Amino acid sequence: MTCAGSADGVVKLVRLGAVAMLLLAASALMLVSTPARAVPPFARQTGLACEACHTIPPELTAFGRRFKLNGYTLTTRPPLVEDIDDYKKNTVWLSDLPGIGILLQATYNHYNVAPPDSQVPGAKAQSENLQFPQQWSIIAAGAITDHVGGFLQMTYTQPSGTFGIDNTEVRYSDHTENNDWVWGVLANNNPGNQDVWNSVAAYPTLDFSNQSLWSSGGIDGAALSGPFFEGLGQSVAGPTAYVWYKDSVYFGLSEYHAAVSGSVNTTLDSSNLAVDGGTVEGWAPYWRLAYEYDWGYNAMEVGTSGMYTKFTPSLIAGQTLDPGFVNRYLDQSYDWQYQYNGQHNNFSFLGRFTHETQENDPGLVPTYFSNSVDHLNAWNLTATYYYNHHYGGLINLVRTTGTSDGNFYGGNGSPGNQYEVFELDWLPWFNFRFMLQYNVYQVVNNNQNPFILLKASNPKASNNNTLDLGLWMDF
Amino acid sequence: MKTLASNVVMVAAIALAATTVRDAPAAPLPPLGGTTTVVPPDASTLDARALVSKVCSKCHGASGNGVSISPLFPILAAQRPGYIEMELQLFRQRERSDPHARAFMWGIARGLTDEQIEGLAQYFSSQPPASGTPSRDPALAEKGKMIYENGVPERDILACLPCHGPNAEGVNTFPRLAGQHRDYLARELHEFTGQLRESEVMHRFTQNLTEGEIAAVTEYLASK
Repeated sequence: MTCAGSADGVVKLVRLGAVAMLLLAASALMLVSTPARAVPPFARQTGLACEACHTIPPELTAFGRRFKLNGYTLTTRPPLVEDIDDYKKNTVWLSDLPGIGILLQATYNHYNVAPPDSQVPGAKAQSENLQFPQQWSIIAAGAITDHVGGFLQMTYTQPSGTFGIDNTEVRYSDHTENNDWVWGVLANNNPGNQDVWNSVAAYPTLDFSNQSLWSSGGIDGAALSGPFFEGLGQSVAGPTAYVWYKDSVYFGLSEYHAAVSGSVNTTLDSSNLAVDGGTVEGWAPYWRLAYEYDWGYNAMEVGTSGMYTKFTPSLIAGQTLDPGFVNRYLDQSYDWQYQYNGQHNNFSFLGRFTHETQENDPGLVPTYFSNSVDHLNAWNLTATYYYNHHYGGLINLVRTTGTSDGNFYGGNGSPGNQYEVFELDWLPWFNFRFMLQYNVYQVVNNNQNPFILLKASNPKASNNNTLDLGLWMDF
Repeated sequence: MKTLASNVVMVAAIALAATTVRDAPAAPLPPLGGTTTVVPPDASTLDARALVSKVCSKCHGASGNGVSISPLFPILAAQRPGYIEMELQLFRQRERSDPHARAFMWGIARGLTDEQIEGLAQYFSSQPPASGTPSRDPALAEKGKMIYENGVPERDILACLPCHGPNAEGVNTFPRLAGQHRDYLARELHEFTGQLRESEVMHRFTQNLTEGEIAAVTEYLASK
């Protein structure tokens, strides 16, 4: 038995090694056969290397933040067509090449315990996934006129096997000559994605290290409890107006509306296991205030953001509801970041704390909710370090607690979860990243995770622990 | 069977295409450091002030005063116009190829016209100079002043003063160094000693500099 066990271990090790060798061989092959450097769309437009805008993609540098606040329009590239009127205002400004880019993510996952593949316990269970690609995006980005720029993304994801609209934004921006005032208006489909600091939830930095990006299966499809407004991406759309004063104070106001009125969203509640669908009712305001101070190689930011959303649940725990019930969510988030962008060393500390107040419709209490008001508190802390933009890693800690609501969350009623992400990175090129990641789960939805539901013999959060070997390319 | 056949054909086609690409005569490589890129003049309507406001200010001082915050980017305020003009032309022609020039200024300068370059040089050179950072180590700064003014004759290190001026204010195409970021100066000196940045004169003048001497000279210049 022992012998068989160790042989099994050796086989697993050999397989892990084989996958690693495959990925390394692929990169070596590209090294010898591809002399051209891969360049993403913004770099094509500006002629700047990735490090101008990013410490490590997607985290923005001070320059990258200004590039975005100015509507992605910075370029010194001669336009293909430029026409001006008698007042020397541009009437047409067209780039000589379209800003097209490709994003590719591939991953190999090894789960601590094989996730079940179906509702039948143990059926076809496997401990490994190899997804090539795991995610594949087409990005069109850059200046559209001399004052308007955009970022349009279509993404294929492996578990669903479909292409869909991802983050989309078009913004207009202008500024005074001395840059004391920069202002803009924009439309986008993901609250917070217009932000330039990576400490907010909608910005991809933290999602990049999140298990849901790299692994499918496991707890995927039954996402962890989290603040409501973090899950609205692509389900809503709306306008934002913002100002950026003296290179230090940012204020923005947005209004979001359901992308399709009455559309059913599947993962839109802090208890994703219980609420299966619904829609945002009317307009939901989103606000953002931030202060940045830069000195030497350093930049620090403190800020707050929030959203007030009325939500009509249509399906709770498999029960279709009559229309007319409205739950109200108030999310208030406080974030901060410190960034050191030096000659050789880059490090950053990012964090946010979000408090959510969820008022449940009286008609749904106590049938679906024990309380008329529920609260959720979420901490998200990240530290990163990179040397020469080539070697480094990050640690991400997530802690979520909340009001016990037995009817809503089931079990002992707590929505808590707790996990850590440890990541090591190697970037042979700035737009080519190999990643070794280990996700450690301490608490998963108060341990009411799908593994418990499907595999009662293994009721442990650590069953979800995942080792990921990832590849990320942007070209 | 049909599928198999079409697969075989496809694989063969890909292999053939790959072979064709591999066997294609390679385009002659441009000589390293030579004049390889001639950027056509840009019909852009942006004058120097607009360029500063829209582009340069993002790194070299948000208000357009040419005083950068991060030492990754040099202070341009009161820089010699001849030096700014020469460097922008070198960036545009890709004849200055230190790593930061490649990453940042190659792209920025690629579409600049001669008129814009001249205008930018006039603009930044007419900005009031940045006040230097007071030295935290006056003894080190004093040592740097000695090296700046006299060199280290016994080790064949020539003085900086004859080219860069008695107050490090720069002369013609020799840059102003006074009040510049300490780390920026140190990086450039290292790039000269490592021959990452082109300049036969500076390669020769800096080749015998020790780390301590670089620290001293930059301490002195940054504090001026």
